[in-house]
Amino acid sequence: KMSSFRKALKSKQRNHHERSQPVFRKQLGLLEKKKDYKLRADDYHKKQNTLAALRKKALEKNPDEFYFKMISSKLEDGVHVPKKGNQEVEMTEEQKKVMRTQDIRYVEMKRVAEAKKIERLKGELHLLDADSKQKNKHTFFVDSKKEVHSFDLANHLKTAPELVDRVYNRPTLETLQTKTIQGTVEPRSMMKMAKQRKHQYKILSQRIDREKKMFVISQKIQTRKDLQDKNKKVKVKKETPNAAAIYKFEPKRKR
Amino acid sequence: MRPGFSPRGGGRGSGRGGFGDRGGRGGFGGRGGFRGGRGGGFRSPEGGGFRGRGGGRGAPRGRGGRGGFGGGRGGFGAGKKVLVEPHRHEGVFISRGKEDALVTKNMVVGESVYGEKRISVEEGETKIEYRAWNPFRSKLAAAILGGVDQIHIKPGAKVMYLGAASGTTVSHVSDIVGPEGLVYAVEFSHRSGRDLLNVAKKRTNIIPIIEDARHPHKYRMLVGMVDVIFADVAQPDQTRIVALNAHNFLKNGGHFVISIKANCIDSTAAPEAVFASEVKKMSSENMKPQEQLTLEPYERDHAVVVGIYRPPPKLKK
Repeated sequence: KMSSFRKALKSKQRNHHERSQPVFRKQLGLLEKKKDYKLRADDYHKKQNTLAALRKKALEKNPDEFYFKMISSKLEDGVHVPKKGNQEVEMTEEQKKVMRTQDIRYVEMKRVAEAKKIERLKGELHLLDADSKQKNKHTFFVDSKKEVHSFDLANHLKTAPELVDRVYNRPTLETLQTKTIQGTVEPRSMMKMAKQRKHQYKILSQRIDREKKMFVISQKIQTRKDLQDKNKKVKVKKETPNAAAIYKFEPKRKR
Repeated sequence: MRPGFSPRGGGRGSGRGGFGDRGGRGGFGGRGGFRGGRGGGFRSPEGGGFRGRGGGRGAPRGRGGRGGFGGGRGGFGAGKKVLVEPHRHEGVFISRGKEDALVTKNMVVGESVYGEKRISVEEGETKIEYRAWNPFRSKLAAAILGGVDQIHIKPGAKVMYLGAASGTTVSHVSDIVGPEGLVYAVEFSHRSGRDLLNVAKKRTNIIPIIEDARHPHKYRMLVGMVDVIFADVAQPDQTRIVALNAHNFLKNGGHFVISIKANCIDSTAAPEAVFASEVKKMSSENMKPQEQLTLEPYERDHAVVVGIYRPPPKLKK
């Protein structure tokens, strides 16, 4: 066919190259084509028309014209922004105070609930062999220096030497011989009980933590509320994550 | 102080207020936690029971199995899930199950005195009930867990308890001494004396005395010789009070157990110094101290002193 012959011929042809900017005009950038010119010209004319329209509008403007924006806004860096100042306040001091009171009440209610639960847990978890507990001090009074030198704790307490460190219960040798343990003694259930006990202690410590935090929160809200008063006050101590700021208020007699 | 904020300092150590502070009897704060007042735990048994249970359940308890003690909460769970070991001091036990508690054998089965937990253990056919004894509330319990050598309160003993308050610790002492023993519980405050009377109604071995412990002659007709005096009066002159009662009621060679709160004696001196001066005072009253124990971690700046009154002369070889 003729067409395929023509295509075959095209493969021999030199590629078409667009005309480029001559080297001596290179400083002017890429050579502008008609479609580039068209875009540039259209843009230019659009701007010119807008300017002309605005100029005309300004010329025809009524000098007595008034808009409220003229007084409620002002120029800031060439942009009109609404003026602040006589805006309506969202909340009055009084309302804020009431809300804070309610907040304190709520936190306090939750804290008391937590404290009650702690009290109940403490009633059954007596820190028998907690490792981290504070050591107490046990003093024995004896009659002579000699007895001080010959003092042996296990002997004095009439208990087995291995039990001396088991402070919460150091049964006497007699008790060990005559009394028996009641309840479960099989190792598996004992292990299970130990696990449950550990979990209970964990819950207790979490609750104590939470109660402390809520105490701090309520104190902080209280301080914010107290600050609303117009009395003279001096900050004594900065606020920290676990304590409210401390202010000293000028003593003032209230009627 | 604003109500609801218990008085506590900035530090808030582990032995915090709220649980321990026993200074101002009555009042809010101090020990108000279970002193009626605002619906706290301690209520008279007639007034609707403890822990919001109906009052109707008296002595015959037969609900079988778990329901043995209490609807809802009450005991520590099924009897098989606890382990109760006998303590060094006769009549006291340690329960180790899910709980980790000092307990005494409940004399009035099926009743809590101040909302404490009850544990029952089955030994073959018989069921034994124990009550948890909170060392955060009771100085005596704290001393026992602190490893005190002797409390001298044992089954069959006659005990005088000065500063009985609402009778929480007294109820445990009554458990220990058992039906053979006696507890003379002296408390001055009428308000907490009321609770004490209610405890004594259920426990026949408690003799409640609502009188000032400073005037033992006022109740001398009620009290016989006793083996032990326990004192938890938190007064600056408490050693004198104990001595007065000891001279009147304590047998020769009898013992005393005194809980000392350093703040109540002298709030400016170091606790150690306060304890030492109290021990000295005791010696001058014919009371010979044998041991002294501080009550950490359950109480701050508290000590318990145990000693003997008019000790028999030492035999010379």
